[in-house]
Amino acid sequence: MDIAKLLNAFPGAVSQGIIWGLMAIGVYITYRILDVADLTVDGSMATGGAVAAVMITAGYNPWLAVIVAFLVGMLAGLVTGLFHTTMGIPAILAGILTQLALYSINLRIMDGKANTAVNVNKYHVLVTSRNVRQFSVSNPIILTLILTAVLIALLYFFFNTEYGCALRATGANGAMARAQGINTNVAKVIGLMLSNGIVAFSGAMLTQYQGFADVQMARGAIVIGLAAVIIGEVVFGKLLKSFAGKLVCVSLGAIIYYLVMQIVLWLGLNTNDLKMLTAIVVAIFLAVPHWKQQAQTRLHVRRKGGE
Amino acid sequence: MKKICALVLTLCLALACLSMAAAEDKTYHVGVLQLVQHVALDAATQGFQDALTEKLGDKIVIDVKNASGESVNCTTIANDFVAANMDLIMANATPALQSAMAATADIPILGTSITDYATALDMDDWTGVTGVNISGTSDLAPLDGQAAMLHELFPDAKTVGLVYCSAEPNSKYQVDEITKFLTELGYECKNYAFADSNDVASVVESACECDVLYIPTDNTAASYTETIANVVEPAGKAVIAGEEGICTGCGVATLTISYYDLGYATGEMAYEVLVNGADVAQMAIQYAPNFTKKYVAARADALELTIPEDYSAIE
Amino acid sequence: MLDINHIAKTFNPGTITEKLALSDADLHLAEGDFVTIIGGNGAGKSTMLNAVAGVFPIDQGSIVIDGQNVTGLPEYKRASFLGRVFQDPMTGTAATMSIEDNMALALRRGQRRSPLKWGITSKERRMYRDQLKRLGLGLEDRMNARVGLLSGGQRQALTLLMATLQKPKLLLLDEHTAALDPKTATKVLHLTRELIRDQHLTALMVTHNMKDALQYGNRIIMMHEGKVIVDVDRETKMNLRVEDLLNMFEHTSGSQLNNDRMLLS
Repeated sequence: MDIAKLLNAFPGAVSQGIIWGLMAIGVYITYRILDVADLTVDGSMATGGAVAAVMITAGYNPWLAVIVAFLVGMLAGLVTGLFHTTMGIPAILAGILTQLALYSINLRIMDGKANTAVNVNKYHVLVTSRNVRQFSVSNPIILTLILTAVLIALLYFFFNTEYGCALRATGANGAMARAQGINTNVAKVIGLMLSNGIVAFSGAMLTQYQGFADVQMARGAIVIGLAAVIIGEVVFGKLLKSFAGKLVCVSLGAIIYYLVMQIVLWLGLNTNDLKMLTAIVVAIFLAVPHWKQQAQTRLHVRRKGGE
Repeated sequence: MKKICALVLTLCLALACLSMAAAEDKTYHVGVLQLVQHVALDAATQGFQDALTEKLGDKIVIDVKNASGESVNCTTIANDFVAANMDLIMANATPALQSAMAATADIPILGTSITDYATALDMDDWTGVTGVNISGTSDLAPLDGQAAMLHELFPDAKTVGLVYCSAEPNSKYQVDEITKFLTELGYECKNYAFADSNDVASVVESACECDVLYIPTDNTAASYTETIANVVEPAGKAVIAGEEGICTGCGVATLTISYYDLGYATGEMAYEVLVNGADVAQMAIQYAPNFTKKYVAARADALELTIPEDYSAIE
Repeated sequence: MLDINHIAKTFNPGTITEKLALSDADLHLAEGDFVTIIGGNGAGKSTMLNAVAGVFPIDQGSIVIDGQNVTGLPEYKRASFLGRVFQDPMTGTAATMSIEDNMALALRRGQRRSPLKWGITSKERRMYRDQLKRLGLGLEDRMNARVGLLSGGQRQALTLLMATLQKPKLLLLDEHTAALDPKTATKVLHLTRELIRDQHLTALMVTHNMKDALQYGNRIIMMHEGKVIVDVDRETKMNLRVEDLLNMFEHTSGSQLNNDRMLLS
């Protein structure tokens, strides 16, 4: 139990958290803004990773690779959107179907191999976990922080434009949005595309960071994404209330998630219990708002009773 | 925000230096990063631990951490080991090795349960050594020997169904390799890939149209041998397996390596690196030293197969 | 301005919950008409409004707004013609969005929304402030407040304002005061009349209050079993009392007016 070791592990947890925070921002768009539970992300994150791995190992510029990953992720969102809007499949099932299909597609992208290595010694990558303790510009924390800031700024701008408002209205009240002349089906498809594009972008960054893409790399990603959204809201929701602030919360939520995971590892708990611990951590953060509300109600009742 | 970041980074660096200095005693700290709970991988880890404990006794501290099947956890665990400034990291399975490689260029890494290092690390001009902080042992089964075994037991068969999990990094490689050997022997090969537990049964069902089935060393297949057995046994089809676990569960015969021995060999390599200062970059990848022909008596009887003398029965 | 030509609608056809909601409903509005609609439970009043708005496709007939046949148009495309206020105050506004966001959405009703143009300009903001002042509810000082924090009456007043921000060819009011207390309901009705008068709007208002039906608008129609059975013009309406309306209904439909919420006073 050496506290120095834990602190030494924090930069790694932070940068991993920031990368997953990008993904969680994508989840936020569907889960909180569009009010759709989209399970495509377990597939589209791996798609982003696969695209990046294949392109980087084929010698393409890593920036081009993450941009293409973003676009391919948008295609995945488009498919889920069309399943949902034109075929009338419930959103959650539409996402599961796309996720299922993406497994095969990801294998095809990686030429039938389940795993593609991205050797950091051999290729130029944007981020790598190797540099996480370096005190230089190649530290992945710096670039991922900048990318997060740029992403939040772009989303802040977009969701305040005329069309961005229409997207928010679609999630807030579909009937009202249609009464205002908004094609809510198109809006949902665009929201899903944007979300999955961001998720795939995050997958592309993660692949470079961890040095490989794997068809199973994003299994359970939605849980981490939702956990980040909820942890961010519970811990920082009171402080950051603006739209951009809420996205910052999500990113911070992901960082906290990985810090907690790192602490759990450092404590030396049996890693066979890792999944149970993840479930407990997420459950606790989910429960906090509920408990708070209950406590408030009780307080309220007591005050009234005292009168 | 930036200032805080800078501060945290500086702090961490300072502490890293401190902990480095603290590691100067005679006790060696080794981290084992294992991808998933699994019979073969567990055996390799056990062998590794036994080898080091036998040689170093209480001078070795081994920290075994398991990513529980989620490859992203490998990165978190690798980060933990690097932060703790381990003397050596043993990476058990492909994503574990890749995560460790991405995490450090300095700490020696030994892999095990890796089939092909050139593929797993994406190395060109493979010479048997990596040239970087990585070496280890390969679990590459003797695929030519397995093809020969299939020919020995089923000389009259025409088609071979190759069943594997599409999510396994090494299975496709093995299937492609053995196809070459089997085709040379005059067999026609067909691939039957399944994705997970949901489609194992139906994929194996369709594979039963072939005369004989072959399953490579495949972690996922190893987990579903019961399901596979429930399909192939009623169909009266024989399975030649890439490793013993699968053979016990659903196969009739195998030419196998021992993962325990493989892990033990990795442990011996670790000893060389830790105590004798061997340069991991120049250590050749080691392969399993000996193979054994094994068979499952009950299934051989059911299929009315005559098993040659040099096979030993799996209990 | 509006021609509802013999429309019919059956919900869940061929199932146990099959319901004939509209059968051969026919109604024609001239420009500037303010028509109140009354009728019993399930008479098809709301269904007719929703059919005009395009919430669901109709089985028969056609709907023409200002000379344009909109029968095949989806709901969001018809929105450019229509201002709508609903019975449930939650329906007409987006609760998690601010007052000004809601107004900006309404201002762009029926227009192309750009992903590059800012959603609210400062010029618009001044206009919203002036409009909100008219309501006399103090909302002009809370333009950044989430609509979910407003009371039902405030939300209905806002929805009404939003519906007329961009002048609609037709204003559809579906029992929009039913969920409000009497005092607030009167306020909202006064506002409704004012807005309709100022902008010379054509409007259809469903109500369960017979007195309101007589007091507001220039025409009354009664619906029964998916049909328009009584249509009272301006002159006749002026001298009508609630009892006359009831008698008229019983006479034409051959049954008692049954509406749980019907207010006779």
